[in-house]
Amino acid sequence: MTREFTEAEVMIALCARLLEDQKTAFIGFGMPQVAAILAQRIQAPQLVQVFEFGAIGPTPLTPFVRNTMGGPSNCYRSIAWTNMNTIFAQAQLGLIDYGVLGATQIDLYGNINSTMLGADYARPKKRFPGSGGANEVASYCWQTIIIMMHERRRFVPRVDFITSPGYLDGTPSARERAGLPAGTGPWRVVTSKALFGFDPDSRMMTLLGVLQGLPPEQVLAEMDFKPLVAAAVEELDPPSAQELRILREEIDPARTIIGRTGKV
Amino acid sequence: MDVLVQGVGDFRFTEPDAIRAWMRERKRREFVDKTLTAAEAVRRFVADRDYVSFDFSSFTRGPLVLIREIIRQQRRNLWYCAKFTLMESTLLVAAGCCSRIDVGFMGLGETLNREVEEGRVKVTEWTNGTLTLRHLAGGMGVPFLPTRALLGSDTLTYSGAKVVRDPFGGKPVALVPALNPDVGLIHVHQADIYGNARCFGPGVSPLETAMASRKVIISADEIIDHDDIRKDPGKTTIPYYMVDAVVYAPFGAYPGGVPGLYEMDFEHFAEYHTLERQGQLKTYLDKYIDSVASDQEMLEQRVGLARLNELRRRATIREGYR
Repeated sequence: MTREFTEAEVMIALCARLLEDQKTAFIGFGMPQVAAILAQRIQAPQLVQVFEFGAIGPTPLTPFVRNTMGGPSNCYRSIAWTNMNTIFAQAQLGLIDYGVLGATQIDLYGNINSTMLGADYARPKKRFPGSGGANEVASYCWQTIIIMMHERRRFVPRVDFITSPGYLDGTPSARERAGLPAGTGPWRVVTSKALFGFDPDSRMMTLLGVLQGLPPEQVLAEMDFKPLVAAAVEELDPPSAQELRILREEIDPARTIIGRTGKV
Repeated sequence: MDVLVQGVGDFRFTEPDAIRAWMRERKRREFVDKTLTAAEAVRRFVADRDYVSFDFSSFTRGPLVLIREIIRQQRRNLWYCAKFTLMESTLLVAAGCCSRIDVGFMGLGETLNREVEEGRVKVTEWTNGTLTLRHLAGGMGVPFLPTRALLGSDTLTYSGAKVVRDPFGGKPVALVPALNPDVGLIHVHQADIYGNARCFGPGVSPLETAMASRKVIISADEIIDHDDIRKDPGKTTIPYYMVDAVVYAPFGAYPGGVPGLYEMDFEHFAEYHTLERQGQLKTYLDKYIDSVASDQEMLEQRVGLARLNELRRRATIREGYR
């Protein structure tokens, strides 16, 4: 097998590695679904996926079919089938460990925009579909993981619109002061080139790792703000032969998700 | 309670006592046969300027048969609740039926985004969870419910929510106003002629939508005997007295799937996406809605028995869906 891979494969593999077994994870649409399945096939067979339409603990059937959010293959062999109010209540209650989301735009403090671009809300330069369930996931889950393409236009000093809350203005306890559940917030940002966390004091995004072979300066150059840089930046293994085999042969042979981005 | 922050978005709100009066006078407790054709149900129960809500999505157990009929009858200036919407909000806007959307998640493709950018469709920001919570409040007969979502976000700023100091614990908490849609549209696996309805599998908010809505139209893939309801009452999702009309609609969720019955039609969605990207949704609307008199005619003439049988064949996962 060749070890060439796509940006989506990098993001999915890096995200999947973060998900520990026997934890609960609120899974968003698309790439997060594939990352959660990959984690289940490797180190986290008992990862309990939950979805906004109320499925708890499915073992999604593969091959993964894009757009099956709520369909039988997505909900296969669940523990329970509930509904949206019930599952968001459980997240609000503190039962869900991870939230895994995609995002259009993110800023230094991990605020997420999936609503609009431009300075005037009434006349957006570009409109997007909106929060969906992302605002709840980012508000309630203990550790939110955001998956996104590593592009300069997506990493901005200040998002045009806070669809889903990160650490807001970065001041101490900003989330708690707003009334958000204590101890929650963005935990990791996974991109096609790097892995970020958030500094516990300043709440600023912090470069933790870069994909093997990439100089950190190159990663930083493709962002519109300067994140903090960890004292020791980890070198991240590219997708392994095992990860690629499972992704390409078992989960997404039609390449509906893993084939949607360019090669690294 | 002091209001600390107040969203600027427009929202629908009705006093709980007005809703109680409606429920007392208009929701029939008698067991009467409520079966109607989709055309008749929409004619009687969906009016211009109504606020319309629905359950699930155009991929899974969505009431597409009723959406298509609303388009066919050219309702105008609807306010649509896009709480987990995909294709149907786009179709309603493209057909000129809908001028306001509560977002949620707005829909598939760029059509709606452009309509919003150019100011032709007005939106109020919410989230999927706060929209279902608003249905819960409306369905409970209370004026609002608290939530710890929305806080700190611009989504809140452009919603109709208010942030107050929790009178018990003292921390800020968001309140969302009750929502009582004029019309609730719900597609189910099975219903009896009175409107007792069963849907299997997870749902977005079928019961809350039925409870909150002034007028409820159920479309059902299968009509079952009332006695079957009584034999297995644990399976009832929606009791009859909330329901105003029952539409027998095999493949009513098409091109979406109904779990355990038929799969979604991926080829159809591919056709939709191609036309949507080309700005040719009028072609789509004409082919599947306006040029046919009913859903049955659409299924017979535009989809065909072979395709429908194939979608049934693909629904191999049956566990839990009966």
